[in-house]
Amino acid sequence: MNESALTYQSIDDTVIDTLTPPGRSYWVVVALLFCGVLMGAACWLYQIFTGIGVAGQNNPVHWGTYLINFVFWVGIAHSGTLISAILHLFRAGWRNPIARAAETMTVFAVCTAGLYPFIHLGRVWMVFYMLPFPNQRTLWPNFQSPLMFDVVAISTYLTVSSLFWFTGMLPDLAAIRDRATGVRRKIFTIISLGWTGEYEQWRHYTRGYLFFAALATPLVISVHSVVSWDFALGVVPGWHTTIFAPYFVAGAIHSGLAMVLTLMIPLRKLFHYEKIITVKVLESVAKTIVFTGLIVGFAYGTEIFIAWYSHNIVEMETFRWRMFGDYSVEYWIMVICNTVIPLLFLVKRVRTHIKWLFVISIFVNIGMWFERFVIIVGSVAHDFIPYAWGLYWPTWVEFGIMIGSFCLFFFLFVLFVKHLPSVSMTEMKETLHEGGAHAD
Amino acid sequence: MKGVPMPTDRTSIMGIFSTEEQTASAIRGLHNTAFTLERVHSPIPSHTIADALKLPKSKVGWFTLAGGITGFFTGFLFAAFTATRWSLMVSGKPVVALVPFVIVGFEFTILFAVIGNVLGLISQARLPRFETVTSYDPRFTGHKFGILASCSAGEKSGLHHFFEAKGAEIKTDDNFKGPTGKTARGGRTT
Repeated sequence: MNESALTYQSIDDTVIDTLTPPGRSYWVVVALLFCGVLMGAACWLYQIFTGIGVAGQNNPVHWGTYLINFVFWVGIAHSGTLISAILHLFRAGWRNPIARAAETMTVFAVCTAGLYPFIHLGRVWMVFYMLPFPNQRTLWPNFQSPLMFDVVAISTYLTVSSLFWFTGMLPDLAAIRDRATGVRRKIFTIISLGWTGEYEQWRHYTRGYLFFAALATPLVISVHSVVSWDFALGVVPGWHTTIFAPYFVAGAIHSGLAMVLTLMIPLRKLFHYEKIITVKVLESVAKTIVFTGLIVGFAYGTEIFIAWYSHNIVEMETFRWRMFGDYSVEYWIMVICNTVIPLLFLVKRVRTHIKWLFVISIFVNIGMWFERFVIIVGSVAHDFIPYAWGLYWPTWVEFGIMIGSFCLFFFLFVLFVKHLPSVSMTEMKETLHEGGAHAD
Repeated sequence: MKGVPMPTDRTSIMGIFSTEEQTASAIRGLHNTAFTLERVHSPIPSHTIADALKLPKSKVGWFTLAGGITGFFTGFLFAAFTATRWSLMVSGKPVVALVPFVIVGFEFTILFAVIGNVLGLISQARLPRFETVTSYDPRFTGHKFGILASCSAGEKSGLHHFFEAKGAEIKTDDNFKGPTGKTARGGRTT
């Protein structure tokens, strides 16, 4: 299968065919995922009415699964922007078939991540303390706090990635409008904003899209750097380190690329996208995972080296305990899944085999979740004073909310793929060779 | 290209092409004739067509820049404003601390620049726009390229032949007489 067999019309046909009314099995999946969302919401409601104590977070581990999942989902979001913005600036043609789905993943992942600070608050109605206006004690938010950087950064990221996603979709929405009838045509007429592909529109669109990509690139790096400073600016052993920003950014892209494979492989099979999302595209993602995996592995090694090199006994004990203490299983899951298993992609037969790609992507997703667990829990559980050491494990409420959040992400994504174009038709057409091959 | 309504003694024809090379060639050809190029449609942003049209650079970037500059000062000054409401020393940092407030300023720079970018795009591209576009063909968002050119009523046949010579499928607007003298209702293609 190669892209040269494609034409403009076959791209349109393939993508628009995916928007035909879905069958019963689709709605069964949607219903199951929705039940998962309801279950998560019920757990959250139980926590709101009973109190944050129903979660397992207590002295000394006050940041548990809620913050783990927050960082995990923000990380997942990042590769969408890498693929849509950074690789767009680098003119990497292989990103075109997966850019739309990756951007969508970004938007939904940030939405999912954004729920966790609310959940973590316990008394969710106090969320207005984070908003920039004076509370009842006439106190304003303090923008010297990294937590306030985070509020600004994540809000900006959600706004920018949503606008980027929608703007990129405009020409495709118009293409669907022009082939639709009835109510669907009316809906797509409105959401395509009257796009007609006039050159006056393209002239401004291409310029605007370029600026979007140029602005999203530093934004995506800043957002996960800011998330890392939530930890690095605290004087907790294992957190208080200058490598956290690049370490978190690399890890975010690592996990996001793995999630791209996890989503793209079933999508490719179910929607018959084999000619569009070629094995070569998936192979390119796999090669990038090897690269990010090596950066992440280097960061793991650097942390341990610096702890030893500093002769700081607290740092040394923290990393000894991480490797051989109560959470050593989680630590080695993290190391093996994130740095060792992705090296299998160095073998061409592995990185070009769909099942291997899918299985390894799942391992990386698991590894990256445990990375957040090891960093967040593994530091506060075992910091300066042995008297204050303690262990943490999520309660059923936290598991329920976590499963609910995963269901929410996949629920939104499954709804998206059957109602909006999951591959950018316009960008796919741009990748084709110029000429008459796309004519009727 | 013009966006103003045509005088009633003028007529227009839409030439529909299959490739961007044909389209670019027809645009270059039109520049050497008395016909007026009204509009070009394309399913993709094409450098070949852009070069043939010789359009000026878009001004969207100015909106983006204005947004970015506004954003930086808004973010920085807002953080400084909230800090000075209490003038409380935190972590040994000055009340108006440069480093943390530059981070807030940076995020606002991106946010406002993107909002400026979107406003620039929709204002310059005149979106949203829901009125029917003359001689529009739904295939323009799919796999066809279109050139709408106008001429005086007496030159219509010449414009028709010009497009035919360039390999175009012809579509005439229902407001205008087709080359055979019959009124073309609903956009007639030949």
